[in-house]
Amino acid sequence: MPNVLRRIGRHVAVIPIVAIASYFLIAALPLGAEDESKRQLPPELVASYRRDLGIGEPLGFLRPWQKLVRGERLGTSAQGVTGEELVRKISGSVGVGCLALGLSLVWALGFALLRLQLQRPRPSAISDVIPAIAFGTPVFIPALLLAPYVAEAGHLLPELAAALVISAWPGVFLGTLLIDAIRAELTRDYVRTALGKGLAASAVLRRHVIPNVLPLLLDSIGPVATALLAGSFAAERVFGLPYFGQLYVVAVLQKQVAVVVVATTCFAALLAAVGLTVEAVRILIDPRTRAATE
Amino acid sequence: MNDARDQRKEQRRAIITGICLLLGLWLFSFAASAIWPSALRRCPFGRDAIRPDSTVCELAIGGLWVSLTVGVAAGALSTFIGSALAMASRAVGGALEEGSMRLADAFFALPDVLVLMVLQLAAQILGDVDPRLKIAPAPLMIFSLAAVGWAGPARMIRNRLATLETQDFIAASKALGAGRAHLLLRHLWPALRSYVLAVFIARIPSAILAESTVSFFGIAKVEPMSLGRYLGTSYASLLYPSGARIVLPAWVLLMLVVLGASLASRAAAPERG
Repeated sequence: MPNVLRRIGRHVAVIPIVAIASYFLIAALPLGAEDESKRQLPPELVASYRRDLGIGEPLGFLRPWQKLVRGERLGTSAQGVTGEELVRKISGSVGVGCLALGLSLVWALGFALLRLQLQRPRPSAISDVIPAIAFGTPVFIPALLLAPYVAEAGHLLPELAAALVISAWPGVFLGTLLIDAIRAELTRDYVRTALGKGLAASAVLRRHVIPNVLPLLLDSIGPVATALLAGSFAAERVFGLPYFGQLYVVAVLQKQVAVVVVATTCFAALLAAVGLTVEAVRILIDPRTRAATE
Repeated sequence: MNDARDQRKEQRRAIITGICLLLGLWLFSFAASAIWPSALRRCPFGRDAIRPDSTVCELAIGGLWVSLTVGVAAGALSTFIGSALAMASRAVGGALEEGSMRLADAFFALPDVLVLMVLQLAAQILGDVDPRLKIAPAPLMIFSLAAVGWAGPARMIRNRLATLETQDFIAASKALGAGRAHLLLRHLWPALRSYVLAVFIARIPSAILAESTVSFFGIAKVEPMSLGRYLGTSYASLLYPSGARIVLPAWVLLMLVVLGASLASRAAAPERG
């Protein structure tokens, strides 16, 4: 049980760290600069920063959250956000992220099979060039290439197109991990024993190898979730999806600091939720983790 | 014996190929844009839609050396900060080491682009509030990328140090009375430096991609124009089918950078017990 609590604590600790760090980074800015004539920020904007962030008030860092819970709008203009809108935007991004996760698993399987089919002793085009292309391609490039066709097409396609472009690199990353892990497992003694006892290769793979590879894949879900959510910033902007990534970029461009503080914390909370889900699934499917937590 | 020698030779070849590719791209880009700009006047991709006085080649190739310089400087700075933190935390040990690594984990969990946007926003507001505190876009981007990227190198180098410290030659040196500084300079650093080089090279493409993405959003305005900023400012023209001719050269250049860096980085970090 202490192990479980420690694991939960490790994920959840990110939320207050990010909340406090992002709040104090913004609150520490000299918004109350004495020389008003030299200041390039309009006074009403500075006043809204102080009001939204509760600067100078006791427990001021809770002020943006208080405003959201009361249903008030954070930010200086119509581009601000209410609590309800924030939840809606996060749900939209999570939906696109889930679709992208499914697609990246498909890419992973496809890439792993391709590498199995085309294995060579020396580093091959498949093992070197495809990951370099996938990693060397910022999400906004395929999004821009796809955008003209999406703009002409139907209503639901932007979400699908966003998921498609976001999922490419995580898919190749997962595929590389999957194939390397399967190859490593296939060299183990227990596989040779199972094959020697007459078990079919497919049965060895299904019953022995895959259950040992799954925990490793679960470990990579955290970085993949981060990549998917980060990719959503660019994809949502290019495809014009009014979700969390778009909200974040617009808030930064318009210097809506309270929205940025709240959205950064929400982002950390999302990642913590993914981490906790992965831990729960790991305990369910991996007997070694279960034994370690007992 | 011969296998090990062949493997080392192959690794050296991969490092040299990767570094030559990166250096060649930088030299080509810098020479073509800063020394012989007329060489890029004839471009198969035609003129840029937003800036018709420049060709696509001028803007894409001209942006490459800026992106690479920012990436290399940010990679070097973040690797230096990460290494220093890893070595200091290993030297101190205990709760401080645990705490600093937890902080690195928390930082590492967040995407570079998100933290970079927050830092850029804070620095821009600082400049707006007091013009004397304004930082030029390129150094601001380098410092922001270093502030974002230290966590990965810190975690990796700390783990590598912990592994090296369990080796027999370290135990022997300790038994002979070696102090921490002697251990670090004489035994750990020589075994660690190829790994640090690999971590540094691996940071370069990450920094370039993060800079490209943030510049694309229009949040950073690196001067001279980087690859990401070029694509970001051409945004309107890219949304039409003919926009592909503007995207493709920049994309190919970015991929070549990543290919060179990943080749060099993987070869520079050989698996050693």
